[in-house]
Amino acid sequence: MDLTGSFAISASGMAVERTRLDVVALNLANVNSARPKDGSGYQPLQVISGARRAPDFGSILDGVTGSGVAGARAFAGGAQVHELRALATPPRLVHEPAHPDADARGYVAYPGIDPVREMVTMIGALRAYEANVAAANAARTMAQRALELGGN
Amino acid sequence: MDLAPVSFLPPVGAPLPAFDSAPAAGNVPGLGVAGDFASWMRSQAAETQRLLTEADRQVVRLASGDTDNLHQVMLSLEEARLQFQLLTQVRNRVLEAYQDVLRMQV
Repeated sequence: MDLTGSFAISASGMAVERTRLDVVALNLANVNSARPKDGSGYQPLQVISGARRAPDFGSILDGVTGSGVAGARAFAGGAQVHELRALATPPRLVHEPAHPDADARGYVAYPGIDPVREMVTMIGALRAYEANVAAANAARTMAQRALELGGN
Repeated sequence: MDLAPVSFLPPVGAPLPAFDSAPAAGNVPGLGVAGDFASWMRSQAAETQRLLTEADRQVVRLASGDTDNLHQVMLSLEEARLQFQLLTQVRNRVLEAYQDVLRMQV
């Protein structure tokens, strides 16, 4: 009974989606953070995730053939965050001459964050997290049903 | 008339078939060299103890705010619970078999 593998795969997916949600929250929190005149300041971020290479799924797949076996063996470590990429979106310029960070023409640069896009990413991350929880629960239910075999 | 004596059981003192010679017994992970049940049970009990301790440690870390993801704590709790249930079920089956033998009419 090796549940550790299924649980670890689901946990890696959950960790990735948690990171995605954190980054969305970070973007939304900084939607009105004015950027200083020197061009530094907050840049909207994006999580780039991918499959994790870890060959610990092999024993389950012994005797299984097909075009996907090699991939399943190679990427059995689940998912992981590859990088946190700063999006090169143009800043949102707002005319606020009284603002301390306003440029010579009176414009203040805010990070180019699209709230709609962030909300959609957030919903997607939430649903993906829920799907990972469902997969882990299914693995647990399978094990519990197996333990019920022959019971009274 | 000649009747052959009934001999289902090997006579007392005759060598019993050795469990050691069962094929692939040595290859099963968790089994000792002898492949006996006691060592399997012992290793599983140790594994259960390890998982329970680990889950306990993670819960303490969660309570003290030292952990960053809740799902890892819940998953290790689930793992410990399932391992414990496996051990309990094996124990139940063994006891059932033992009691069946005990009730046997001789």
